[in-house]
Amino acid sequence: MVERFVFARIQRIPDSTLRSLADRLARLVLDNWFFALAFVLLWRFPYIVADLSGSQVKPSRPTGDSAFWQSEMARALALACLAMSYNLLFGFSGIISFGHALYFGAGGYITFILMGHYDAGLQHKALVVVLLVTLGLALFSRLRARALVVVTLIGVLLVLLLLPAEGAISFWQAAAVALLLSIVVSLTSGVVTLRVRGIYFAMFTLALAEVFWVLAKSGTFRSYTGAEDGLAFRSLLPEALNVTPTADGSRLTMYRWTVIFFAVIFLAIRRYMSSPVGRVMLAIRDNEERAQTIGYHTLFYKVLTMVFAGAVATLSGLLFVIWATDKIVHPDTLSLTYTVDPLLNTLIGGVGTLTGPVIATLGLHLGETYLRNETFTLGTRVFGLLAVWQLIALAVAGALVWVFRRSLTRLGQRLVSAEPRTPRYGRLMLAYRAGVFVVLAAALLWIGSQLRGETEAVYNVADLWDLFLGALFVVVVMVLPHGIVGTWNRLWATRRLRQLERQMRKERESVGTRKT
Amino acid sequence: MSAAPDNILEVENIHTFIGEFHILEGVSVSVPRGSITVLLGRNGAGKTTTLRSIIGLTPPRSGEIRFNGQPLRGKRPHTIAQMGIGYVPEKRIIFRDLTVAQNLQIAERKKGDLAGKADFIFGLFPDLKRLYHLPGGHLSGGQQQMLAVARALVADNDLLLIDEPSEGLAPVIIEQMMGAIRQLSARTTVLLVEQNFQVASHLAERYVIIEEGVSVHAGLMADLVNDPELIKTTLGVA
Amino acid sequence: MHSYFAHLSPQHRRSWLLVVAYVAALLAISLADFGANTAGQTMFRGVLLGMLIFLVASGLSLIFGLLDVLNFAQGAFLLIGAYVGYDVYLRVDGSADVRFLAAIASGVAFVALIGAIMEMGLIRPLYERPVFQLVLTFGLGAIFLDLVERYYGADPKQPLAPPTLLNDNFSLFGQSLSYYRLFIIILGIVMMIGVFLLLNRTRIGIIIRAGVQDPEMVQALGINVRRVFTLVFVLGAGLAALGGIALVPYQGATLGMGNQFLILAIVVIVIGGMGSFEGTAIASIVVGLTRAVAEQLSLAHFNAPVLAETSVLLLMIVVLLVQPNGLFGRGD
Repeated sequence: MVERFVFARIQRIPDSTLRSLADRLARLVLDNWFFALAFVLLWRFPYIVADLSGSQVKPSRPTGDSAFWQSEMARALALACLAMSYNLLFGFSGIISFGHALYFGAGGYITFILMGHYDAGLQHKALVVVLLVTLGLALFSRLRARALVVVTLIGVLLVLLLLPAEGAISFWQAAAVALLLSIVVSLTSGVVTLRVRGIYFAMFTLALAEVFWVLAKSGTFRSYTGAEDGLAFRSLLPEALNVTPTADGSRLTMYRWTVIFFAVIFLAIRRYMSSPVGRVMLAIRDNEERAQTIGYHTLFYKVLTMVFAGAVATLSGLLFVIWATDKIVHPDTLSLTYTVDPLLNTLIGGVGTLTGPVIATLGLHLGETYLRNETFTLGTRVFGLLAVWQLIALAVAGALVWVFRRSLTRLGQRLVSAEPRTPRYGRLMLAYRAGVFVVLAAALLWIGSQLRGETEAVYNVADLWDLFLGALFVVVVMVLPHGIVGTWNRLWATRRLRQLERQMRKERESVGTRKT
Repeated sequence: MSAAPDNILEVENIHTFIGEFHILEGVSVSVPRGSITVLLGRNGAGKTTTLRSIIGLTPPRSGEIRFNGQPLRGKRPHTIAQMGIGYVPEKRIIFRDLTVAQNLQIAERKKGDLAGKADFIFGLFPDLKRLYHLPGGHLSGGQQQMLAVARALVADNDLLLIDEPSEGLAPVIIEQMMGAIRQLSARTTVLLVEQNFQVASHLAERYVIIEEGVSVHAGLMADLVNDPELIKTTLGVA
Repeated sequence: MHSYFAHLSPQHRRSWLLVVAYVAALLAISLADFGANTAGQTMFRGVLLGMLIFLVASGLSLIFGLLDVLNFAQGAFLLIGAYVGYDVYLRVDGSADVRFLAAIASGVAFVALIGAIMEMGLIRPLYERPVFQLVLTFGLGAIFLDLVERYYGADPKQPLAPPTLLNDNFSLFGQSLSYYRLFIIILGIVMMIGVFLLLNRTRIGIIIRAGVQDPEMVQALGINVRRVFTLVFVLGAGLAALGGIALVPYQGATLGMGNQFLILAIVVIVIGGMGSFEGTAIASIVVGLTRAVAEQLSLAHFNAPVLAETSVLLLMIVVLLVQPNGLFGRGD
């Protein structure tokens, strides 16, 4: 409605150049007002928290709500970038990776290992490597002489720039090397394994990430990685990036840089998605063979996306680790945890949507932090050791649902407004049946606990959070495959469609009456 | 006054969707008991989809299907098959890694089905006896087609749905196949899909023409054969 | 037997040759590098590991072959089997034999139940959405791992006493080994033969093999494929659980064992060919031997686990490059 008003007014501008300018401006604002608002909110977040909690934005010591939440929000933003990179692969291109954590953890590990163990001879060794790589490419790939020369020159240039011949390596150089290595790994592994069916790629990524995780944890490399205790980098971090001091505004500045980083990544991914490359990726996701027959070298595009996603993950990982309070790179940044996390957030938020993973990540992580110390009571011991009588109660609930399944289905069909045998019908019926089971089970468990005189039990949210995430995951996969944002978008789209249909019908009727 | 025909299969105005594509937009077929009926039509008209709708592999979204008076729509394919319908899909789909024997054994619905029909089957397709222990993938195209049809004969099926039995077969084999189908039609009703009009006209007693997902014409084959105009317009075949 | 080799495709024949050559090479390297005794011990350990991997991989292969689902929760099945078996072993009163049998029975039964519920309730509704099926099994694997950790704690469980019959030692290649290790190998062989017989001599086995090729046609023949799917899933889960419990007297139970074996199993079915049962069996031994030899080599020369971890991965990459659908795969 606002749109119609604005564009109607614009149409009345007499001067054509002014009109087109106003049109572009209006479109820019109307399409992006949400993001602009979000950015402003994020930017002002420390002050908002300070106002709500009565703490200081730049306290003399790193305590107080505002300072705490700056750190938490920054970490959540880094994780949101990770989720966006995962969405780029999975949601947008249909590439399933079960080893994304490799790139995430690599950021921190490579940067600080390099800084901690730099030796001037590395530059020479790296030059040799570049030459060998060029030789290998010359022999085994189809690159022409000109391309090879360019590759060698770029390689040599990078080595000279990033790996100093004497002295120590700076943080920025090390970070650039980490980024580069991540690109190289994703490039080579992509070229090798993205040719085959997606399932092989998924398995390969899982195995690769596991290998590096084991290596990072292993005691043999303790001097490099710190093994299970992790890599301490307090001494290696440049002062400018130290987030601990709050009085001089270091933390606040770092927070703002993080918000900017997040915005840049967000816009970059958005640009990528709407670019011609992005459109090809969509085509590949829908039907790779067809894209190939049209003439696209799908491998190139898939590898490109893989490299981009890996790079974003590496940068996010480095940022994430900088915000760690203990200034240690833990091996779990390479573990499944940081593959499952973006996967979960992408699914819950909405596979293929831009804002979905961000909203899910921020919501879930900040929510967990906020509720961490909360407890709640339940009238019955639902979790924990399942007593025999509870198992029996669950079995009875299951049996009842099974025995009465036909009448339940009939009832369900009247409630569910979808055509039978369509996917949506299947999902809704499933949700309905699951809901019936849960209600029945809860009722039986409650009755049982009353009969046995069980007292209330107190639960920590922190203990149950993972369980909650797991349940949420299952629910989303089964019933809400488009995630929260995705379903929301679809609802809106259906609403728009109905509006348009009504409009068209009205117009047709008015035309019809006019004719007669 | 002739008695009302005893139709073993009644398909009434079914609409079938594959994904969002509206493939069948109103197909009706009546198959009298004991007859050989053929579905004719151009490529992509929806003939295969009709058979698949009957057996339940692509279930129709609306319409009615009745087999021996029993409704079929909404039932799962294995339930439909168990009611006595045998399905022979196009392209000679047999289980290539299983032997001929295993291909036939898997089609048994009751113990002793194969033993009881062995003579009949080997009578129709003597080659299969010779090849009994070979993996299906080692058979020639014609032999595979015979196996595919034979498999549908193992259990007690009152209706056979056969999709393009002559496709890609040498003329001599086609003759053999036609003879076999004629013989088995004595025991079971056959609903055939056949692109090859020669084969169709020599085998079937009745026809139904399907065009762009709609059944447009039905009748006796004898009448169709004598009407070259109709043949040309509906089938594009001179 | 003869008919098996006679009917092999040229690709499979070549794969057999490659496998034999590779194993011979491994043997040669071991003999040259470690000497006869250690080489023998390494080979034995390799076969042992191969059998354990086979138990997990066979389930994975069957489930993938028939249901077209790569069950990333298979490792979790092994894990749950191990922990539940461990738990029951400690709770039951009686001799080591009784406890062991009770552990096996309860572990397998419990995991089978979980598998059945998982297949019927969660995987079946997702048949039209294979991507989500994959993601679901992966997520469930992570959830199960978390539940086990929550319930049993993160500390590794010590190996339990094997049944009295097997508690003795025997001497092999200069090392004194528990009979229990032999038991694991024999268990693996028995399972191999058992599954082979199931697939080739029973009606249900024929249905499974037919279903791997064309589940629609099997339905059209009047067979309720869905029930067969559930059966296969439960069978696969049970085999993994068996592997898990078998490990407990040998290595104890740790939280990482699930994923460890999952990855090895994945490598096995990639190398052996997805959906090919004999490929799984052969590849299991190959991978087991590779791992054992690589471990021994790293121990002897580098004192680092790098080689062992990456050896198997490298093997998978090589096979993927040379024969993308596995050594005994079906070329889909």
